[in-house]
Amino acid sequence: MANVKVGISLFSLGTPYLKGQLDLEGVIKTAAEIGAEGYEIVATQMIPSYPFVSDEFVSFVNECKKKYGIGPICYSANMDRGLLKDRDLTMDEMLARAITDVVSANKLGCTVMREQYLLSPAGLERLVPYAEAYNVRVGIEIHNPETPITPAILDYVDVIEKTGSKYIGFVPDFGCFATKPNKPYWDRALAGGATVEQLERCAQLRYDDVPMEEAMKIMEAEIEKCPALIAALNSMYGFVQFRKNCKKELEGLKRIMPYCFEMHGKCHYVDENLHEASIPYEEIIPVIAQSGYDGFIVTEYEDEGGYDAIEQTRRHVAMVKKLLNQSI
Amino acid sequence: MGFAMRMNFVDVVVSDSLKHYYVDGKKMGYQFDIRLSYYRGQFLSAIDQFGVKVDGFDVPAERIRFCINGKEFGAAELDKCYSEFWQAIEPATIKVIYPGSLPSGEHRIDVTLFLRAPYMPIGPDHQYMPIDSCGSKMMNIID
Repeated sequence: MANVKVGISLFSLGTPYLKGQLDLEGVIKTAAEIGAEGYEIVATQMIPSYPFVSDEFVSFVNECKKKYGIGPICYSANMDRGLLKDRDLTMDEMLARAITDVVSANKLGCTVMREQYLLSPAGLERLVPYAEAYNVRVGIEIHNPETPITPAILDYVDVIEKTGSKYIGFVPDFGCFATKPNKPYWDRALAGGATVEQLERCAQLRYDDVPMEEAMKIMEAEIEKCPALIAALNSMYGFVQFRKNCKKELEGLKRIMPYCFEMHGKCHYVDENLHEASIPYEEIIPVIAQSGYDGFIVTEYEDEGGYDAIEQTRRHVAMVKKLLNQSI
Repeated sequence: MGFAMRMNFVDVVVSDSLKHYYVDGKKMGYQFDIRLSYYRGQFLSAIDQFGVKVDGFDVPAERIRFCINGKEFGAAELDKCYSEFWQAIEPATIKVIYPGSLPSGEHRIDVTLFLRAPYMPIGPDHQYMPIDSCGSKMMNIID
């Protein structure tokens, strides 16, 4: 039986935080009020002593836990391979950065860390002894356009199974199961003068797996009339791409479920009836509820559409809880 | 600079931040604050292009001091600052060495600032998503 807890990535409340409407304590307090049982923190966004965790910050986090009842459950790392001006970081240098993040995650009390795919399977393998020593399970995020069955992800599966380590695995992001066009990009194109008919033609090209260059050519005349279509079409082939259905991808998720340390409940728009516009939560949540998964689903509202971040996060948490209850 | 991603939450040039700064009791120049136009902080080495114009004139790079984390760097040094992290919510103070400073009244500040998203490659050979963090503002200089 699955034991699923519901959390919030504080990234979801990034807009009010960056605008100064909420400070970090306000963000944590809001997450608790919305119903999070724990939170993920994007280190480069909200840890004031990044890339380190200061004693002062640990005290602050503990103080907040006392006041609001929730603490950090996942340290979200970035792999800044392009940090240097003239060249990419070497694997040794990336490993050093990842070890710094593991040390920081441990100091913050997190036993899960999100890592990004620029740390290669071989790099992840080299991180194993440090992840084990510091008791931090490091999960590579599976982010659209990757899915649990794309070759790049299967290469990590090989390393996880070869090492047999319980300390390396995945953090799937539900955005990779999208079956409909992304609403904020769609709406932006409409606002830019595109018609529903034009956008539906673009979406159909994506559904039909027409290669991007060809799709651009087919839509060339329309794009000339309405340049806003370019961004919409680009997005359909980029980080918010979608397919007719996600059955194969969900089968892939079942296979890697034993290696999943946390789930990113991505959302771009949840309506008042608690339905996400492009990601089929009604299909995804039962798969998790019926697995042996023991961990968090963490809401990750990505503010592309300028909706109220707190309200969207609240709706998403309510949606996940509702679907979990229905799936028992 | 071709396409660059823009993620803007606050003004890059911070309102009411333009003022004279003093050394040995004399006006040594002027300073103002800037914020990153991005959702997360950045190491200074992720800055690809940085420049300042005041009232339409380019400020020589060697006169620009980039102040952050209690330290002060020359514009030419930024790309070596790969362990100096600029927090997303912390303003950096830009000082321009200009003895006597600007005349009182209103001045136009234009900041050119392009960075790269160092975790977001867009092609081979060290190509990363460019981020536009430019900003402009008219401000009265204060003491």
